[in-house]
Amino acid sequence: MLALVLGAVLALLAVLLVARPFLREPAPVEDRIAEPGELDRRRVELVEERDRALGALKELEFDHRTGKIADDDYRALVGPLRRRAAEALRALEPRAESNVSEQVTRIGR
Amino acid sequence: MADLGRAALLVTFGLVVYALVAGSFAAWKRRRRLALSAQNALFAAFATTAVAAIVLVVALVRRDFTFQYVAAHTSKSLPLGYALSAFWGGQEGSLLLWLLILSGYSALAVWLNRRSRDLVVWVVPVLGLVASFFAFMLCFVSSPFVVAPAPADGAGMVASLQNPYMLAHPPMLYLGYVGLTIPFAFGMGALLSRQTDERWIILTRRWTLAAWTFLGVGQLLGAHWAYTEIGWGGYYAWDPVENAALMPWLAATAFLHSVMIQEKRGMLKVWNMVLVALAFLLSIFGTFLTRSGVVNSIHSFSQSPLGGWFLGFIAVMTVFSVGLIYIRLPLLRARTKLESLVSREATFLYNNLLLVALCLTILWGVMYPLLTQAVRGETRSVSKPYYDFFLHTFGLPLLLLMGIGPLVAWRRASLRALGKTFLVPLVAAIVTGVALIGVGLGSSWPGLLTYTFSAFVAASIVLEFWRGTTARRAIAGESLPRAFGSLVARNRRRYGGYVVHASIVLLAIGIAGSSAYQTVREPAHGLRKGQSMEIAGYTLTYVALSTRQEADAQATRATVLVSRGGHHVTTLHPGKNWYPVEQQTSNEVSIYHDPRNVGDLFAIADQIDPKSQILFLKVLVKPLVNLIWLAGFVFVLGSAIAMWPDAVEQRRLAERYAPGAVSAGL
Amino acid sequence: MIALSVAAALAVFILYTAVVGGATTQLSPSQLAGHTDHVSLVGAVVGPVTGDAHGAGLRFRVKDVSGPSKVLVPVVYHGSVPDLFKVGRHIVLTGKLHGATFVGDSGSLVTKCPSKYAPAKSSTSG
Repeated sequence: MLALVLGAVLALLAVLLVARPFLREPAPVEDRIAEPGELDRRRVELVEERDRALGALKELEFDHRTGKIADDDYRALVGPLRRRAAEALRALEPRAESNVSEQVTRIGR
Repeated sequence: MADLGRAALLVTFGLVVYALVAGSFAAWKRRRRLALSAQNALFAAFATTAVAAIVLVVALVRRDFTFQYVAAHTSKSLPLGYALSAFWGGQEGSLLLWLLILSGYSALAVWLNRRSRDLVVWVVPVLGLVASFFAFMLCFVSSPFVVAPAPADGAGMVASLQNPYMLAHPPMLYLGYVGLTIPFAFGMGALLSRQTDERWIILTRRWTLAAWTFLGVGQLLGAHWAYTEIGWGGYYAWDPVENAALMPWLAATAFLHSVMIQEKRGMLKVWNMVLVALAFLLSIFGTFLTRSGVVNSIHSFSQSPLGGWFLGFIAVMTVFSVGLIYIRLPLLRARTKLESLVSREATFLYNNLLLVALCLTILWGVMYPLLTQAVRGETRSVSKPYYDFFLHTFGLPLLLLMGIGPLVAWRRASLRALGKTFLVPLVAAIVTGVALIGVGLGSSWPGLLTYTFSAFVAASIVLEFWRGTTARRAIAGESLPRAFGSLVARNRRRYGGYVVHASIVLLAIGIAGSSAYQTVREPAHGLRKGQSMEIAGYTLTYVALSTRQEADAQATRATVLVSRGGHHVTTLHPGKNWYPVEQQTSNEVSIYHDPRNVGDLFAIADQIDPKSQILFLKVLVKPLVNLIWLAGFVFVLGSAIAMWPDAVEQRRLAERYAPGAVSAGL
Repeated sequence: MIALSVAAALAVFILYTAVVGGATTQLSPSQLAGHTDHVSLVGAVVGPVTGDAHGAGLRFRVKDVSGPSKVLVPVVYHGSVPDLFKVGRHIVLTGKLHGATFVGDSGSLVTKCPSKYAPAKSSTSG
């Protein structure tokens, strides 16, 4: 008997928790989940691209320092990578003066 | 009180179905309050499942035999700890444990990521779907709350399960298995919400690592259990149930590596989705294998009604994942290609191929009896030679790759630089190989190759730490120890990963030593009292036999003196226990941890003739076997380093995915 | 490229299991008759159990685990006997039929543990 009572209480509490969003806001101003706009998606894409480019530069530098990339290979690779990073930064912040080296340090690690 | 348990599970079922249905509708129509409601349903489901779990725990503690489950798996005399472990000792209880962990993980994962609203809104129904299956099984097919008139005493727990491993091994495995559901749900959620960015990977990275670690540790615990308690002299038998845990672990290992490529290069998006689904499906399949008796295994011959349900669920989830990936294929197309076959990305790819190949060959081996039965009407099965062949074919190159990967640069390695970076590890490997052949270890080529490759990998790992530290010191001007510390702290995933690789090297060496180079002696006519036998330089002399009464068993032990070169080294006491209640004997092996070869001298009392007191002794010398257990600790250490929260990185990632921060600056 | 490699791997092990033939057939006592090749016998132990596995040989009989068949196959076995072995237990044993008696390979006797978790074997693997 006690078990059934407790069970009923449990069910009631569960229903309350589930209904809570509706009980708290019976007449909400806005009931839609914001759809990430095209702009937002693009921004995230660009940020990921930027982080990848900066990360790649950082990796290249580290690999060079630890001897996995020879000097001339490094020289050949670093140019295009820096350009890519600069492009990514510019795409994200068209107006800002972005210094790639500074960003590389910032992306840190 | 069983009624309360049943009621709690019914409420849980209602809640997770609601989470699935209402959650899907809310995600589709983008209804905020309904989505929150579905989310709350998942939170509530954890609470109600916990109530059901508590009911079962209390019944177990009190030995309430009106619960059929309690009567079947405990007895009045069973120690409390084991009575508690009976929670997961039987089918119904282990399903409840699964649901408990799943609902707990789901609630936590959703709660922690509640701000990623547009992703979580789709993750909730996926989690609800998986939970619905288990809740359904618990309510309507396999309930732990069935009551019956209480018998005088319970059936008790099988003697071989009454050891500390029973307390740790199953929960650890479950924490691993179930943990793989979270990245799966987020991956599918990302596909459902049409998101192609890395957010789902980044949010679930630690979940995957943790689940993978638990699964790995769980398997090592199982191996140690088999080794010390079951005591046939081995630790892994390629039994379907053992393989059931290995397969998702291999898939998860592949996944952990390939997501790094997606993060760095934006490639392999489809592959990652496939892998995360594979890991999840294999974890469900693993439960199915263990519980259904569908494959002839040491663990279960009997057919269980659960089998059909599990198969159906796996089929549904497979169709769901494959279908979803297929539909979203256009979104997942990569824009970058692999630049060079000699790059770190490429080695990750090869590693993935090998891991998946190994996983699939094991799957094939497990399924083979079922397939031959269905196709030819005759059951054929494969055993150790099959698995060993593929372990060598895929495992050895994998081992080598672990050493090659870190030495190769990203994007495109300099072939000139390769020569220099490879030099030291290559020399280490060759020197080791030659030395080992000189010492006579050339007898086993897989063993020799394992040792040689291990030397290569070990050298490359040490070099990585060294080169990184010196580079760091040059950049930041820190002292050597500080440079080392900050190197690791700034690259936790990488260096934690190297530590994990080191643990795999230890594992490989331990396995090779204790299998390829083990010695076994088993005098055909046994030993009379006073007689000796020789093995690998040791002399074992059987001197006495004694029987004593323990709490619930009659323990017979042979006293065996071990000496080497005339000096006494140790005394072993192999024997048997006889459990009158269960009418069962158990093997009690005696192990000497030999510091000379970091291995074991392993004695099994195969048979003791009570009349003549002849002891049929089987002795194994297993070099380096203790490295396997050491590897477990190093594994956990590496994983912990890799998982360690990094405040700077967290901030950067939070900024990246903060909604609406279009021109928030850099 | 990935697909090709996976296909190649699949081909390798299908070839292996088919040609190199690492597989053994599993048969129940009722299916055993006529098979003279090396097989795995799966069944339940029927008494009486006589003899000594370390001496002249352990002798017992095996019947189908389930099903109506009443076929009993006599078995002789030398080698390690797992602790759980007793009348009624389900076992797996590899060996060959010699005449009417199934001769088990030494050390290949494996019993099924009554519980669903712990393995119980005495083979020389691992």
